[in-house]
Amino acid sequence: MMTIINGIKSMFHDHWCWGFLAFACIVWYSTITIYVAIKGSYDIRNMLRTLSKSKDN
Amino acid sequence: MSDFAFIDGSIVGVYLLVVMTAGIMVRKYVGKVEDFLLAGREMNLYLGIASLAATEFGILTCMYTSQNGYENGFAGAIPGVLLCMAMLFVGWTGFCIKPLRDSNAITIPELLEKKYGSRVRWATGVVIALGGLLNMGVALRIGGEFLVGVAGIDQKYLEIMMTTLLLAVAVYTILGGMLSVLITDFLQFIVMSAGLLITTLFILHKVGWGTLVNTVQNHHGSGGFNPFRNENMGWSYVVFNAMLATAGVITWQPMIARVLAAKDSKTGQRVYTRTSFFFVARFLVPGLWGIAALAILSPQEIGDNSLLAMPTMIRQLLPAGLLGLLVAAMLAAEMSTDSAYMLTWGSIIYNDIMAPLRRDNTWSERKGLFWNRTIVALIGVFLLIYGLWYKIEGDAWTYLCLTGTIYLSSISVLLVACCYWKRANSWGAAAAIICGAFLPVTTLILQKVGPWTDWFQKRDTLCGVITYVAVAIAMIIGSYHKPQSRLIVTEAK
Repeated sequence: MMTIINGIKSMFHDHWCWGFLAFACIVWYSTITIYVAIKGSYDIRNMLRTLSKSKDN
Repeated sequence: MSDFAFIDGSIVGVYLLVVMTAGIMVRKYVGKVEDFLLAGREMNLYLGIASLAATEFGILTCMYTSQNGYENGFAGAIPGVLLCMAMLFVGWTGFCIKPLRDSNAITIPELLEKKYGSRVRWATGVVIALGGLLNMGVALRIGGEFLVGVAGIDQKYLEIMMTTLLLAVAVYTILGGMLSVLITDFLQFIVMSAGLLITTLFILHKVGWGTLVNTVQNHHGSGGFNPFRNENMGWSYVVFNAMLATAGVITWQPMIARVLAAKDSKTGQRVYTRTSFFFVARFLVPGLWGIAALAILSPQEIGDNSLLAMPTMIRQLLPAGLLGLLVAAMLAAEMSTDSAYMLTWGSIIYNDIMAPLRRDNTWSERKGLFWNRTIVALIGVFLLIYGLWYKIEGDAWTYLCLTGTIYLSSISVLLVACCYWKRANSWGAAAAIICGAFLPVTTLILQKVGPWTDWFQKRDTLCGVITYVAVAIAMIIGSYHKPQSRLIVTEAK
C-alpha cells in the first residue's frame, strides 16, 4: 500500500503535469470502463428492442 | 523472457469466440441499408462512447504512440492533448457535427451535395475513400508485427495471422454491418481497457515513475517534456497537429459515423465531450510503454526500428496470463478499428461514389444491402493485398498525418464553409479539393525523389500547415471567382 502511495506521490512531484495526466488516465480507465460497461449494456438492449419493433412493423 | 503460454492462448481463444458469436448473432436485426450503415440511428450515449473509444484505438495507434513516447518522451503525447481539446470544443459547441447530424445525411459528401452539387459529392467521396483506405492500409502489417513480436511467433507466419484476423473481422462486419460493429466494439472496449490498465499498472510497478522521468530527462532533456523545446517537434508540429485534430474530429468518417448513428445531435455531441479525455490516454498510455522500453532495453535489443521497441519490452516484462490479456486487448483494439473502418469507407463508396448509379431510386433495400456487403468484402481483399506488400518507412505517425491530410484538409474546409459560409460554392469546393489532394501528394513524392528530399523530410509538418492554409485560400478564391450569374442559377436550381 505504501509503495502505491509513494508511487502516486512521485507522479505529482516529478513533472507534476505529466504525472497528473498519467494518473488521470489510470483513473479514467479504471472507473469509466466499468460505468460505460454497465450503462452500455442497457443501451444495447434498448437499441435491439427498438430495431426489432421497427422490423416487425 | 516470457513466452506465449497455454493460458495466454486460451484467453485469446475465448475472447475471439465470444466476439465472433456476438457479432454474427445481431445480423438478424439488419433489414435496411440504414440499419447496416448506421444501426438504424438508434445508438445511445454509452454505447457511442465505447464504440468511439474502441474504434479510435488500434494496434497501429498503440505502436506509433509508443514510438512517439520512445523518440520524444512525454512530449510525444501532445497530439492526444490537442485531440482532447478539439473533441471538447466540437462536442460543447456542436461545431459542424450538429448541422451534419440534423441534416440526416448518411455521409459527409451527402451533406456537401446540398451546397456544392452532385459532382462535388462524387469527388469528395473519391477523396475520402482514397485517403482513408491508403491510411488504413498500413494498419494490418504493423498490427501483425506487434502480435508476432509480443507472442514470439516466427515472422513467416505474419501474413497468415493477418489474413485470419481480417477474415474474422470481415465475416461479422459483412453480416451485421454497424450493428455488429457497435456490439463487438462494446465488448472490445471492455477487454481493451482492462488490458491497457493492468499492463500500465504492471509497468509502472516494475519500472517506476521516477525511472521513466529520469530516462526522458537523460535521453531528451527538457524537449522530452516540452514539445516547443523538442528538436523533432517545435511550433510547426504543434500547430499542424492542432489543425489535424480539429479537422479530424469534424471530418474523420469513422468518428463522424458515430455522430450520424446517434439518436440525435445532442447525443452525438455528448459522445464527443465524454470521450474527449480518452484521446489523452490514447497517446499517453502507450507513450509510457515506449518510455519504459527506452529505460530497460539496450540499443542492441531495439535495433534500427524503434517501432518494435515497445513489443520487445512487453514480451520481456509481462508474465504469462497477463501477456494473454494484453494480446486479447490488442486484438480487440485491432478488430474494432478494422471493422469500423471497413464499414465506414464502404459506406462512402456505396452512398457517394455509387450515387450516380442510384439516381432513379429503383434500388431495393435487398439490392442495397447486397452491394454494401460486397463492397466491405472487396475492401477486405484490397487491405490484404496492400497491407501485405506495402512497407512503411520512417515515422509512422507522420506518414499517417500526411496521407490523412490528403482528405482532411479539403473536406474540413468544405464542411466548415458548407455549414457557416453562405458565399461558398462549387468552384471554391473544386479548388479546395484539388489543392488539398495535390499538395500532400507532392510532398510525399518530394520526400522520396529529387534533390530536396532532406529538406522535405525535415519539414513535413510545416508542409502540412501550409496545405491547410492553402486549401482555405483556394476555397475563398474559387468561391469569389464563380460568376454571379452562374451562382444565381445554381442557387435557383
